[in-house]
Formats: sequence, structure tokens, C-alpha cells
Amino acid sequence: MDSLKPFDELDVYDSAAREVPIISQLKGVYARRSLLRLLVARDLTVRYKRSVLGIWWTLLNPLLTTTVFFFVFNTVFKAKMATGTLFLPYLLSGTLCMTFFSQAMTMAADAISQSASVLTKVYVRPEIFAFSTTIAGAVNFLFGMAPLTAVLLFYGKLPGYKAPLVLIFVLCMTLFTTGLGLLLAIAYVNFDDSRSIIGIFLMLLQYMTPVFYPITALGPHTQRVIKLNPLTSYMQVLRSVWGNNGTATTGDWIYMILSAVVIFIIGMFYFQKKWPGLVAKL
Amino acid sequence: MSEIIIEADDISLAYRRTRHRVNSLKQTAINSIKRKMQHEEFFALNNVSLQLNKGETLAVIGRNGAGKSTFLKVVARVLPPTSGRIIVRGHVAPMIELGAGFNMELTGAENILLYGALLGRSVSEMRSRIEPIAEWARLTEHLDIPVRAYSSGMVARLAFATATDKSPDLLLIDEVLSVGDEEFRDKSAARTQDLMDSGAAVVLVTHDLETVRRMADRVIYLDQGRVRAAGDPEQVIQAYHDDLHR
Repeated sequence: MDSLKPFDELDVYDSAAREVPIISQLKGVYARRSLLRLLVARDLTVRYKRSVLGIWWTLLNPLLTTTVFFFVFNTVFKAKMATGTLFLPYLLSGTLCMTFFSQAMTMAADAISQSASVLTKVYVRPEIFAFSTTIAGAVNFLFGMAPLTAVLLFYGKLPGYKAPLVLIFVLCMTLFTTGLGLLLAIAYVNFDDSRSIIGIFLMLLQYMTPVFYPITALGPHTQRVIKLNPLTSYMQVLRSVWGNNGTATTGDWIYMILSAVVIFIIGMFYFQKKWPGLVAKL
Repeated sequence: MSEIIIEADDISLAYRRTRHRVNSLKQTAINSIKRKMQHEEFFALNNVSLQLNKGETLAVIGRNGAGKSTFLKVVARVLPPTSGRIIVRGHVAPMIELGAGFNMELTGAENILLYGALLGRSVSEMRSRIEPIAEWARLTEHLDIPVRAYSSGMVARLAFATATDKSPDLLLIDEVLSVGDEEFRDKSAARTQDLMDSGAAVVLVTHDLETVRRMADRVIYLDQGRVRAAGDPEQVIQAYHDDLHR
């Protein structure tokens, strides 16, 4: 056992100290970055090392979805694709984007609501649990880029010179899902039925996003609705930077970055405000 | 160096709660349409003030729902008080439900790292503590298998050994542990005593008045969030008894 040390500044808790939302939350997460790293590693090892399928396990969902959609929709939508756009990479990138989104968001909310026994007893910023799952989701997504690249190469395409920009996409999606995951965590703790409702919502969202159809195949009014969905912009950006298999407008880039920043700030702010009330009830 | 570990000045903790606990979105939507949501202010803690010095053991007693666990949460920094001010100095070690921070799929060694990091210790420091912790918990041969395969006694041993590995400035105990076989119970009781002797302040929440008599230097008796009596253990316990049998 170590001997008692004089208190350093970090070890003094003063409830009257001023807390600036977002900034003190980010500082708090940064101060515990070694815990964050450990939680990300835990997430990945539990998923990869301990299962027979290993890394394929997390890729199974997007790959199977892609396979089914490919056989069902190939004949319908292939002809409607813009010239130069290949259907299979289009479909696979859409599915990978959707999987990244829904898994990171729901798992961030799960991580917080399932750690209640720790979070009500030990001082750990709950945001760390949200960050750790969305970062792990980002790593999973990057693994998923391997089959996508293989499919592109199969068609004789290269990821292209814009490929490094995929990191901006990953960063935006991580912030976006962290913000939404924090909001969802509040719902998970408050309402028992929010899990099943989010399941229905995600299924609808799957069809409200151009995962397996080109936007141009829709009528002008429907197109406008679909473009309101920020995920549409995310998907367009991903397809454009990785393999140049779709076009992203400047508007898509702006909408993606703006929605990520705004949702992240709203999620962090609202979570900070609501969390004490939840802990009191847990 | 200050000798005061906890300084609580007039802290209160209030939250809004619905009169009938509603926990489905559907019900909430229906109620808000019918305007049936009734909120009330609920004071889990009401104007609590106290000071705890280095080496002192404070016991908190009271009926269920009197605010004992809320008080621990405020001291542990998990819940900020809605008014008043609390200052806590030093490394705080909460003895949480044993194994609460564990991941069943990870090995014993990985869980020591994770649990230690959750309690606020650095990962590099924890790496060097894996061996000694496992040795104390008599789990050295089981370090590389997933905790899923452990018995509940083994999980409790590992959790206790990790939580008490570093002597804290403040130890928070919610109900004294009574896990494992007799040998381990004695060993863990001895270790808790060691921590207390090494100068750690202790906040102990329990219903077991015998333990309070044996361990506490001071007692506070909470009733509906207010301090009903505070001070000498025998007197406060007597006051609590009088209220219970009235």
C-alpha cells in the first residue's frame, strides 16, 4: 500500500467551483484519457478476440445486409444509377455508413445506461462511456473500409486522391453519434420503452436515407425530404471521397460538418443539465 | 496541509419528481396531453452541515429513504448539491457493490486495470499493481481467464482487493461487506481496519448499529433528508431508537 501523499490540486473537489458546459466536460474527459483508451480497447477486444469469427463478426451485419439488398434491388436500381456509379460499392458504402451511425449511437446510450451501478457510486464523467463506444465504432468502421476497397478494386477502381478526406467524415460521424447517444441515454434511463421505439425509428431511417437507391430515382418532393436527413449528406460525402462513386456538393459538406458540431454541442449541454436529476433517481 | 477532509456547508439536494413514477414514453405522452403530469419538489437532503477530519470515522444512520445513500453520492462527487457547498480533499475510494465495474468477458488482470482506472488511478500505476492485488486475493493462477468463469466469492475478492489497494484519504462504505468465506471476511475486515489506522477518514452507511458502535467516532442520524441528531454514537443511536419505537 502507498503512503498518504499531500493532496494535489486534482484531488480537491469543491462543489462551488464554476463549471462551464462543454469546456469542463471535454477537460474532464481529457483528464481521464487513459481510462478512455482502456475502455475503447475493452470494447474492441471483447468484440474481436473473444469470438470465433473475430473481426468478421462486426462486419457480418453490413455484409449480409449488402448481400440481401444487392440481390433484391440490383435489377431495379442498377439502371437508374448515374453514369459511372457502380451499384455494389454504392450499396456497401451506404450500409457501412448506416451501421456506423446506428451502432455507435445506440451503443453509446447502452454504455451509459448499463454502467449505472458504477456511475452512481464513483466519480467518472459518464460522457467518457459515450466517447469510448463511438470511438470504437469509428475503428470498426475503418475495418469495414477493407471490404469496400476490395469491391472497388474488383471493379478496377481505386479509392482515389480524395481518400484521406474520409477522416473528416469519421470525425463528424463520431461527434454526431456521441451527441445523439448522450440524448438517447437520457431517454433510456427515463423510459423503459424507448429502446423499442428507437428500433422502429432506425428502421424507418434506413429507408429515408439513400442506402440502396439513387436520390435521382425519386420524385422532386421526396428528394427534398430525403435531403433534409443529415445522414444523406454523410453518405454522399463518404461515396465521393472513397472511390469517387457518387457526388457530394459543397452543401453536403457544410450540412455534414454543421450537423455534427451542433448535435454534439446540444447533446453534451443537455446531458450535463439532465444527468444529476437522473443519478438522484437511480 | 489541511486536516479537514469533508467540509459540508448547508447542503441541500432537491429534485423534481412526478407523483406517480412514470417510466414509459407512451404514458408520459398520454399524461402530458391530458395535463396530468404532477411534479413535486423532493428534498433528498435538507440543510446538512458537517466536518470530517483526517482519521475520523463517521457513521450515517436512519430509516430507508432518509437520504443516507444520497449523502454518499454527494460526497463521492457523483451528485452536485442544489444549494450549499461541499469541499472534499484527497483521494476518495468508494467501496461500491463488489464487481459492479467488472466486465465478465475480460480476464481478471484486464479487470484489475479497468476497475483501478475507473476508481481514478493511472493505468501505468495499475499495471504494476496487478500481481500484488492478485496475490492478496489468492487469484494469481486465475488471472488470465475471463471473470465469467469466476465464482461469486472470487469476483468479490478481486473487487475488494482492487478497491482497497491504495490507501485513500477518504473511504466510503455503503453497508459493510459480508462476502466470501470466513477467512476472507477476517482478512478484509483487517484490511479495512488497516486503512482506517493509516489515517483515512471513513464515511460508513449502515443499518447495523453494532458495527456503528464498534467503528464510529461520530454518528449523524438523518430523517427525511435532515440531520435529526449528530455527535456521540451512544446518544445518537439512543435518539434513533426512541424514534423507531415511538
